[in-house]
Amino acid sequence: MSRRDDDIYVVGAARTVFGRFDGEDSELAEQAIRGALADSGLTWSDVQFAVGGTNGETKPDNLVSRMGLTGLPFVTVKNGCATGGVALMTARNGLLAEGDDIACVVGYDNHARGAFNASPARYGIGDWYGETGMMVTTSYFALKIQRYLHEHGIDPRALGYAAEKAFAYASDHPFAWRRKPVSVDEAMDADMINDPLTRFMFCSPDAGATSLVLARGPRAFDLCDRPVRLASVALRGRRPGSFEVFSTWLSPGERTSPSIDASAAAFENAGIVPADVQVAQLQDTESGAEIIHLAETGLVAHGAQAEGYLNGDFAIDGRLPVNTDGGLLANGEPVGASGLRQVYEVVRQLQGRADGQQVPGAPSIGFTHVYGAPGISACTVLMAEGE
Amino acid sequence: MAVNVIDETLFESVDPVVLKGSACTECDAHVFPAMSSCPMCNGTAVQEIALPTQGDVWSWTTQHFEPKAPFRTDEFHPFSIGYVDLGPVIVEGWLVGRTNWTIGEPVRLVLAPAWTEDGELVHTFGFESAGGA
Repeated sequence: MSRRDDDIYVVGAARTVFGRFDGEDSELAEQAIRGALADSGLTWSDVQFAVGGTNGETKPDNLVSRMGLTGLPFVTVKNGCATGGVALMTARNGLLAEGDDIACVVGYDNHARGAFNASPARYGIGDWYGETGMMVTTSYFALKIQRYLHEHGIDPRALGYAAEKAFAYASDHPFAWRRKPVSVDEAMDADMINDPLTRFMFCSPDAGATSLVLARGPRAFDLCDRPVRLASVALRGRRPGSFEVFSTWLSPGERTSPSIDASAAAFENAGIVPADVQVAQLQDTESGAEIIHLAETGLVAHGAQAEGYLNGDFAIDGRLPVNTDGGLLANGEPVGASGLRQVYEVVRQLQGRADGQQVPGAPSIGFTHVYGAPGISACTVLMAEGE
Repeated sequence: MAVNVIDETLFESVDPVVLKGSACTECDAHVFPAMSSCPMCNGTAVQEIALPTQGDVWSWTTQHFEPKAPFRTDEFHPFSIGYVDLGPVIVEGWLVGRTNWTIGEPVRLVLAPAWTEDGELVHTFGFESAGGA
């Protein structure tokens, strides 16, 4: 196998347990960075370029005060739910542009309980929108999946299948937050939050951190027995026709999505098609998001999702295991860490050392997808490469 | 007596109630509330227009928990929100009168009481069932 100098590999990965955390969020970040460095056999002084993301108030670039004042450039990203994907892309670009060999990426957050509370002014909307109770993320998700189920004739029980799958995976995953299994009926019959979504169909903001160490070129194979190649990473924003959070109006024309565009670019740049994917991570802020993103990324046809769940296609021994760590539903969403958690899980699966359920058959191609406000998506294709 | 509304710039007229949007003279995109440029084609030749007052439910949900501030209410009860297809544009607003809706059902624009301020009701816009079923 040819190994090129501009190939980028994951050579170290670590995450914290996600959930409630009483300490400072930068403690979590430090824990993840130290874990990823240990996993790679490197030290902080080996790192030439760092990128950190959080949605909170702390400054990621100040993590050098915990890790060591080595003088390295440390870039901060803040792109909402897509922060992890953007951080990873920024690190890759940094390595390639600077000709560096080693980069470290970290994402972390420690959120207060309850749904995120957004300010209308930050989104350029009048106060009336928040005052009338429409500036609520959960209602956006509900309105979007309600329409999607209708347009594609999907049985709403698919929402329950997605929840059941998430908590089944999480019950075996030592780092997941919500690890109690939930049946389809329990999920469907639980308290309604925003029709058609119940309590078990939403993720909650929580705390956690994830870190990756990247290496450029053949050196990756000196550092790691089973480096995973970052075959592509693509970031896209919204075009006219996308249905985004806090939209006071929608156009009646063709529906577009940044997830469609970012996933297509990621597959094309990696030289594969969606059918090649053997393990995937999709943004499942709620059950409906997983259902929509299965199709927007091209992994499943629009309208075929409910059947896919029923067939067990997305279970560990299915055609396409999805969100094998329980996804956001079971891990919650520390916004800065969430996208990197996805990459962490796929890397571990491709290395054959999953923390929870291991995809059988030595999968070699993985995919991750994040999506967030105000309409951005970042996707990666990851490939295990043998000797 | 004048009717108090949440934001006068949203309305072409309060009685009868009509929403004010804007339309792009280049690409014909309609938006709500009115904007000074077109977010679809980036053109600046836009004009304010009165939006249709009748449409169909495009999607809906019911808000079962009380939103955090800046939400204002005298007393919280679950309420419905929807997107209503008015033809040239799909507008988000309250669906009033019940908490269970069907995509495609006809609705019409109304003023709905939102909260009390200084002893007087403040109204927002909403859509109520236009019957027919």
